[in-house]
Parts: sequence; structure tokens; C-alpha cells
Amino acid sequence: MPEAAIAEKTVELRILRYRPASDAEPSFGSFEVPCTDDMSVLQALQTIKDTLDGTLSFRWSCRMAVCGSCGMMINGKPRLACNSFLRHLPPGPVTIEPLNNFPIERDLVVTVGDFVKKIESIYPYIIPKEPKTVADGPYLQTPAQLAAYESFSDCINCMLCYAACPQFGENPNFIGPGAMALLQRYNGDSRDGGQQKRLDTIHGEDGVWSCTAVGICSEVCPKHVDPANAVNQNKTNSAFDFFLRFLRPGGAR
Amino acid sequence: MSERRPYRRPMQPHWWANPPYRAYTLRELSGVAVAIYGAVLFAGLISLARGPESFDAYLGFLRSPLSLLLHLLLLAAVLFHVVTWFQTLPKTMPKVIVDGKQVPPQTITQIATLAAGACSLILLLFTLWVAR
Amino acid sequence: MSEAVQEKRSISPIFWLLFGAGGMVSALFGPALILITGLLAPTGTGLPESFESYGHALAFAQNPLGKLILLAVISLFFWHGAERLFLTLKDMKAGPLLVLKLGTYGVAALVTLATFALLLSIGF
Repeated sequence: MPEAAIAEKTVELRILRYRPASDAEPSFGSFEVPCTDDMSVLQALQTIKDTLDGTLSFRWSCRMAVCGSCGMMINGKPRLACNSFLRHLPPGPVTIEPLNNFPIERDLVVTVGDFVKKIESIYPYIIPKEPKTVADGPYLQTPAQLAAYESFSDCINCMLCYAACPQFGENPNFIGPGAMALLQRYNGDSRDGGQQKRLDTIHGEDGVWSCTAVGICSEVCPKHVDPANAVNQNKTNSAFDFFLRFLRPGGAR
Repeated sequence: MSERRPYRRPMQPHWWANPPYRAYTLRELSGVAVAIYGAVLFAGLISLARGPESFDAYLGFLRSPLSLLLHLLLLAAVLFHVVTWFQTLPKTMPKVIVDGKQVPPQTITQIATLAAGACSLILLLFTLWVAR
Repeated sequence: MSEAVQEKRSISPIFWLLFGAGGMVSALFGPALILITGLLAPTGTGLPESFESYGHALAFAQNPLGKLILLAVISLFFWHGAERLFLTLKDMKAGPLLVLKLGTYGVAALVTLATFALLLSIGF
């Protein structure tokens, strides 16, 4: 006796494809993907890669919103694919594109090299106020001192904030919200003495002064880092430094 | 790796008119309304410097329906500016820590907006009192 | 190990602080000022119609404190609007940057100078 066929639910994924060796420019490809109510967009992409089109390229790793690999535009919004669930999306085709404002390497994979250079450029490590050895014992930090920078330390480098930032879209040399969050993570840390050194990296037009306080970077951040706060409080710092630098003991730069 | 040919998609030319950026553009334009009111005051100053007849003409304009409508629109725009200004203000400050925890930016916004409302109210009441 | 590239310092802080001062003054007093000068006094509501007369206005503008208030309000309101308008026009790609800067910051600078000159010419 034949079993009654169980109707499978499917969802249509419209994905922006780009293969540099063969395509002049990106174009959309469509996939009907069998889905269940608990599936994330990442799982749908993996289903495509495993069963429908093995050439689909995308970054992913932890599947739980801590590694920052799977950032992409889902229905026009920058989101983590592992953190976006099909049941939360409106009915109809799901549009998936690589992160805005970045060059596309292939399919959903974007170029991240410039972002890495920006992260590296702001001295992303504790610069001690005085030399300290292990024998001196550990640093002590109160909960209040931790709270002053804690949100900025939660950044997973997913670059959703860069995809949301129109000023970064217009000026790819803008240091951007993510790198500024990392800068403030250190400048706000009571153990650190490198505030002036880091501040001096962002006084230019490509530093904080490309920011126009749009604020959507903080809205799309999956870890509630509040990069807009990191950028804009350093506008205040940079602005006062502009006038007060002549009073600094080491002399103005 | 030899096949690399990164493709830059151009930004949408009217990104500032589409959600989610439309709200930001409106916020910025409310700041321009501040300057338009400044221009009204500037025009008054010019008229004043020119003498009584010129200033009376300016007063005539202020009393016209056109000017009253303009000021209503400016008032609406500036009120929008007040609200959005204090939403942006906490971003420009370091985190405020009380009792080991961060004070939410929304709290700072509420307090500041109330303080601003109080300032305008005090100025208004003071002016009404002085004019008695 | 990376060396930070020291980019040339921007002069944006000058305009940003002026923008901030204008924004704060207009946020604190703007609604009241518009109500008083633009709606209540001209219609004689709550204020006598003579409140905004030539005599009163002249006395205010001749008073040193009045001069300071007029200069601060007019100038800062223009600097605030200038920065906002410049950045918006830049977003919209409305023209070459130099033209946009002259049309916004340039106008604010001219108005500041003109206000200063007018206040002096009105005398004490």
C-alpha cells in the first residue's frame, strides 16, 4: 500500500550569486528549500549546499551567534544567518545578499581584509600605565570599572554595523563602528594607559569625523555593543583634544 | 585565489530617502529649521537697524497668516529636533555608571528632555511675567 | 604588529562644537522663543501687542546682555543648521563639496559677522 505523501513545507530563497571566473556581475539565483519551523537561514543555506548546489559559498562556523562569520543581508537587513529564523520572516521568498558596503569575493563571501587592518591599527591590546610584572600580582577591577567598557568587549567582529553604516558605504576608508568599539574597549579599560595614542589615530576625516550619528550601527548589532556610543564619545574627545592639545605636557601633534 | 575579482555594488543613490535612513534624514532637516528661525530673527535685526518704518513692516509680516503658519511649522520641526537631539546626546558621552551598572541611555534621554522642557517653560513664564 | 597611519587632523571639531552649542541652545530655548516671538507676541496672546514694538526691540538690542543673547542665538542657530544642511546635502550628493561648504558654513560665517556689525551699528 503506498504511503500518503507527506506534503513538505518549502521556502524560496533568492540568493545573489557571483562567480568571479565566469560572471561579469552578480545575479539572483532561486532555490526551493524544504524547511521545518525550527530552521535558521544558515541551516537553509547548508541544505542548499548539501543537496541542491554545492557551489554556493558562504562563511559560517559556530552556528550560535558568537563567531561573527555568517553576516549577510536577509530581506535587506544586515543579520547573522545562524540567528535568523525562517519562522520569524514574513511569508514569501527570502532575499539573501552579501553584506552591503563590502566588495563581493564570491556569492555571500565579502572582502574582510580592510576591516582587519582597521582593527589592527588602533593598538588593540592593553598598554599598561606603568611597567608591571607577574610578581606584582593581578590587576584589580571593580564592577563599575568593568561596566565602563564591557559592552565594547562583546564585539564579535561580524561587520553588520559596517553594512548598516551609509557613511562607510560612501567612504570605505572610514574606520567605522566596529574598529571604534574595539578602540573604546581599551580606552575605557581602567588597566590601560594608551588613551592618547589610540585617540591620535582617529582625528582625521577617515577617523571619527566621517560619522554623522545615523545610529543604525547600534540597532543592528547582535551583541548590543553600541558602537555608535564608541564613535560619538570619541568625537567629543577628539574635538576637545583639537583645542586642548597645546596644553599637553608632551606638546601638540 | 587566482580567480579573485572582487565586485563592488554601488550604493543606492537615494539611500537617505529609504527606510531605515529616512528617519535620520528627517532628523537632520529639523536642525535646518533651527537655522530658518534664526533667519527670521536675523531679518528682524536688519529691519531694526534700518529704523522704525522698516521694523514696523517686519512686525506686519510677523502678524500675517503666512508668518503664523511658518512659525507653527517651525515650532513642530524644532520640537522634533528637541526630542531627537536628546536621543542622540547620550551617544556622545562616556557610559554613566551608577552602583556598578550602566545607566541606560534612554534614562539619560528622558531626564534631559524633561530638563529642556522645563527650560523652555521657565523662559515662557518669565517672559509672560515681565510683560505684565 | 601594525603601525597606525596618522591621518591629517580634520578641522571638523570647530564646526561640530558650534553645531553642538547651537543644538543645545535651540533644544533648551527654541520652542519658547518661537512661541514668544512668532506666535504669542504677533497675535497679542498672553503678551500685549506692544511687546514686540520698535521701542522694546531697540532697547533690547542696545542692552549689552541683549546684544550677547541676539548674537549667540542667531549665530549658533545658523552654525547648527549649516552643519546639518551640509551633511544632508553631502548625503544627497547635491553638488561639489566646496559649493556645499560655502553655501552652508560660508553663509553662517557671513551671518555671524553681519549680526555682529548690525548690533554694533544699533549702538548702546
